Amino acid sequence: MKYSERTRRYFDDPPTAGSLTGPDTVHGAAGSRAQGTWVQFDLRLAAPGTAGSGTSLEIAAARFSAFGCPHVIAVAAWLAEQAVGRRAEPALPESVQALRMRFEAPVEKLGRLLIVEDAWIAAMRAAAGASH
Amino acid sequence: MSDPPLYLDYAASTPVARPVAQRMAQCLTLEGAFGNPGSAGHVYGERARELVDGARAEVAAAVGAMARDIVFTSGATESNNLALFGVADYYRGSGRHIVTGRTEHKSVLDPCRELERRGWRVTYLAPESDGALDPERVAAAVTAETVLVSVMHVNNETGVIQDIAAMAALCARSGRARFHVDAAQSVGKCALDFNALEIDLMSLSAHKAYGPKGAGALAVSSRRGVQLSPLLHGGGQERSLRSGTVATHQAVGMGAAFTLASAGLEAEARRIAGLKERLWSALRALGGVHLNGAARSVPNILNVSFEGVEGESLLAAVSPQIAVSTGSACSSASADPSYVLRALGRDDRLAESSLRFSFGRFTREDEIEAAAAAVTRAVTRLRRIGGT
Repeated sequence: MKYSERTRRYFDDPPTAGSLTGPDTVHGAAGSRAQGTWVQFDLRLAAPGTAGSGTSLEIAAARFSAFGCPHVIAVAAWLAEQAVGRRAEPALPESVQALRMRFEAPVEKLGRLLIVEDAWIAAMRAAAGASH
Repeated sequence: MSDPPLYLDYAASTPVARPVAQRMAQCLTLEGAFGNPGSAGHVYGERARELVDGARAEVAAAVGAMARDIVFTSGATESNNLALFGVADYYRGSGRHIVTGRTEHKSVLDPCRELERRGWRVTYLAPESDGALDPERVAAAVTAETVLVSVMHVNNETGVIQDIAAMAALCARSGRARFHVDAAQSVGKCALDFNALEIDLMSLSAHKAYGPKGAGALAVSSRRGVQLSPLLHGGGQERSLRSGTVATHQAVGMGAAFTLASAGLEAEARRIAGLKERLWSALRALGGVHLNGAARSVPNILNVSFEGVEGESLLAAVSPQIAVSTGSACSSASADPSYVLRALGRDDRLAESSLRFSFGRFTREDEIEAAAAAVTRAVTRLRRIGGT
């Protein structure tokens, strides 16, 4: 399969691959390795009163782990990059369909990208829970 | 521009050997043997006919057959189709049952499915977990209704060699079932003796042995009196079993390639076996790797599954450095896990995360080292990304 230059770049050298631990981190995962796609986002939240304000905290750092195809890895890597500095809210920076277009993933990959979205939502919900 | 990836997919196809290409080229142009080998009335046809006959003798000699056994076809797929449909049709009055294996090539399995659709019964035997088919189980599956047993010699995905000698003897003892062997992967890798093994039909491919694509043969044992109905009707070429003008250059290329492949077979097999062992040792050090097809196998194929990595990502990660086949995408147009590896008991994930490395005449030791390093890097990186 041919991959776009963007997919190739984020797959070959994902800058946000890895994990975060500590009391100020939350995690959200979706999918399963047995089914072929699994994604987890780890988020470090900014301490209340520093970068965050209101009911949702700001994301200070983000990492991801993924078992999946190159499109899944690339999209998860990009999302983790985009997460930093954002409010911890469930909405993706752009729709799954737009992500599919951005990474030029074939339509049959949509189901796998929805798992990436589910992991994102799970992480954001965990972040929202941490802010209360 | 970056270097092309190392070619480790010789089981998929091989480059045409230069001497083979030169001999083929001599059959194409005005100054060459361009005539129709079926044109007996002039020197152009006679010259082409002589070359085709010579090629037939070369192919036969390479596999222990007689020249008159060899029917040239367009490749092993056509040969397999001719064997299955040809025997099924000719012997339909004797019975309507076929025995084959679950790990056969699609060009055997799909004709079997079609015959089932037409009312035939087909028994698909599962291999042991090491890939081998038990000859006794093959024999036990033969009934009074069985007209054909079809088993491949060398599996194209795992390289496992089936005990066709034992199976052929058991089939011959049954006195009813003809024995067909798909030997597309065999020539140049392991010795074959068509007549000594009491095989009735054997499919051969040129492009797996440094010959041209689009060239193959079906050996049909004249000594054993095997009959079959043709698929193609027309000019009555090839003992009326395969009508159509014989492609002189293709037949000549196949003959030349088979002669070259047979020369020095043992020494080349030893060299290639050393490369295979070297790569397997390096990959085994990664941990979480599984050899697919642990039974006796040809030296040029190594099939390995890697735990903790997804199949498409594995292929994408290694493909800039090495050209190999995978257990998911490359065996067919679909991304389904390999049915061959599933038949060996691998789950979907391990079947998908397999790589088939296949070596050949031009594979060097330093390429094996580079391939081992590329796979080690890729697997380590993907496992890290996957959090394992």
